[in-house]
Amino acid sequence: MEVLLLVLRNLLARPVRSLLTLLGVLVATGSMVLFLSFGEGLRRALFQELSRVGPAIQVVPEGTEGFGLGGFPEITPGALKALEEAGQALGVRAVVPVLFLARGGFDPASSFLFQGLPQGVAPDLLYPGVKAQAGRLRPSEKGAVVGGKVARRSGLALGSPLRLSPRVALRVEGILEETGGLADNLLFVPLAAIQEVLGTRNYSAVLVALNPGQQAEAVARALERAVPGVKAQTTGEVMRFAERALRISDLVRFGISLVALVVGGLLVANTVMMSVYERVREFGVMRALGARRGFVFRLVVLESLLLSLLGGVLGLGLGALASGAINLYTLDQVGLALSAVTGRLALFALGVALGLGLLAGLLPAHHASRIPVVEALGRV
Amino acid sequence: MTLRAENLTKRYRQGEKEVVALQGFTYAFPKGATAVVGPSGSGKTTLLNLLAGFDLPTEGGVYLGETPLHALSEDERARVRLKHMGFVFQQWNLIPTLTALENVALPLLLAGWPRGKRLRRAAELLERVGLAHRLHHPPSRLSGGEQQRVALARALALDPEVLFADEPTGNLDAESREQVAALLLEEGRGRTLVLVTHDPELAQRAERVLYLKGGRLLRETPRAVGS
Repeated sequence: MEVLLLVLRNLLARPVRSLLTLLGVLVATGSMVLFLSFGEGLRRALFQELSRVGPAIQVVPEGTEGFGLGGFPEITPGALKALEEAGQALGVRAVVPVLFLARGGFDPASSFLFQGLPQGVAPDLLYPGVKAQAGRLRPSEKGAVVGGKVARRSGLALGSPLRLSPRVALRVEGILEETGGLADNLLFVPLAAIQEVLGTRNYSAVLVALNPGQQAEAVARALERAVPGVKAQTTGEVMRFAERALRISDLVRFGISLVALVVGGLLVANTVMMSVYERVREFGVMRALGARRGFVFRLVVLESLLLSLLGGVLGLGLGALASGAINLYTLDQVGLALSAVTGRLALFALGVALGLGLLAGLLPAHHASRIPVVEALGRV
Repeated sequence: MTLRAENLTKRYRQGEKEVVALQGFTYAFPKGATAVVGPSGSGKTTLLNLLAGFDLPTEGGVYLGETPLHALSEDERARVRLKHMGFVFQQWNLIPTLTALENVALPLLLAGWPRGKRLRRAAELLERVGLAHRLHHPPSRLSGGEQQRVALARALALDPEVLFADEPTGNLDAESREQVAALLLEEGRGRTLVLVTHDPELAQRAERVLYLKGGRLLRETPRAVGS
C-alpha cells in the first residue's frame, strides 16, 4: 500500500506528463473497446434474433448459408413439394416457404424489407410472440402486416397503400407491437405478391417448424437426404457459423486497434523511462539505504501498471459511452443495438491495458534496478 | 560489530590509464567517531563507497564482524546496509515526493515494519533531531540544516551499528553546521561513526582522525598508524 502511495506521489509530482500519458492510453483503450464492441453487439443481436425465430430449421439451396434475409430465389416449387412430403413423413409441425424483397437504398429510414408468407400463415409462426397492436395479424391476399418500428418510422397506418412495383400494390391491414426484434422492421406480405414482383415462382428459403421433442439436427439431415440440392441448417449450426465469422472479424478489428495500443504503450514506456532517468539519484538513495533491486524494479513496473490501468479503466468508460451513443442511433434507425460492451470485453480491455503497462514498464524497471549505486549517487 | 578494512585497494581504468584511487588501506574502525580527512582525490569517497558496500574493491576486503562484505551479492550487501548501516550524505538525498516523516520511515518500510509502528518511530526520531513541528513538510519546504537533520533521523531509523557521514556539514551555514555536527557526534556515541569531511573543526571533534593522501593512509591521530 505504502509502495503504491510512493508510485502515486511520483506520478502526481509530474501531473502534466502523467495526464498526457493517461490520455494516450485512454484513447488507445477506448478505441479498442469501441472497435470490439461491434463484434459483441452483432453477436448479441444475432443470437437474440436467432433465438426468437420460431422454426428451428431453414432449408436453403446447397452452397449458401442460411438465416439470412433473402438470397437468390432458387428453391423451385418441385423442391418445396418434396420438402413438404418429407416433412410430413418426419412429422414436423410446419413447412413454410419464404421469399424476401428489399426496396430502397442504404439509408435505413427509406428502406423496406418485405417478407412473403404463404396464404394463411401469420408472422407469429416465424416470430413467436409478435402481436397485432392494430388491425389483423394475418395478411389477406391484397394486404400487408407491418412491423411496429417500420410503421412508426415511415408513418404507415391501417389502410396506407404499399407499392411493391408499378403493377403490385397492397394496403396495410395490421400493425405489429414493437418487440425489439427483427420483426419490428419487416413488412409481411403475401408470398405470391413478391413472386409476381420478381417474376419467379421460386422461393429463397423454406423454414421448417418442429413439434416438441423432435431433434433439429436429425430432422435436418433427414431432409437433406430426402431432397437433393438443398442444405438444411439448424439454428445451432448457424450460430456456430456466425461465431466463426465474428471471431475472424474480431481479429481484424483488434488488429486495427493494435496500432493505437502500440502507440499508447510507447507513450507509457517513454514516460516511465524519462521518470527513471530523472530519478536515478532517488533510486540510488533507496539502494544505498538497503532497498533490493527487486524493490526498485517493482516500483517502476507499478508506476507503469498504474498509468495503464487508470488509462484502461477510463478508456473502457469512454468506449462504453461511445458504444451507447452508437446504439442510440442504430436502435432508432434499424431497431437493433449493434454495439455492446460486455463483461468479457471489459475484462479483455483491462487485461490488454495491464499487459501493455507491464511490457512498457519492463525495460525502464530493468534499467532502474541495475544502475550501480555509486553511479546513481554521483559518487564515482 | 567491528568494521574492518584489509588491504583495501581500488583501481579504475580511465581510457588507457589506470588510476589508483585507494591503495592497501587496512584499518579496524573502533566504536566512536573516526574522521577521514585529506585533500580532494585522496580516496576518501572511494573508501566510504567500499566500506558501505556501494562498490567492490579491486583487491582486499571489507568485513563487518565476520561478514565479508566484498564477497556478497549486491542484494545481500543492500540487506547488510539496511540492517547495520546508516548514511548521511552531503546532498541530504531526501526523496522529494515524500514528507519528512515518510522519508525517515523509508528504511523501516524496506525492513518490513508495519505502518503504524513505522510512523511512530519516524516521528520519535524527528522529535529527537528537533523537527517535531516539520513532520509533514516535503523536503522542498525545509532549510538545508533541517533537511540534513531529517537525513540523520533517517540514518538512525533502524538503530544501526555503523553510521557513515559524507561531508555532512558541507552545504550548511554556520548555525546549522553546529547543530548537525553536535547531533551527529552525539548519535555516533556507542556506534561506529565514519565521518568523511573537509571541515577541520568537525574532524577535530572526532575521537580519531585518519589522514589520506594519494589513496594511502598517511597517519592516524591521536594514535600512530599500526599502533
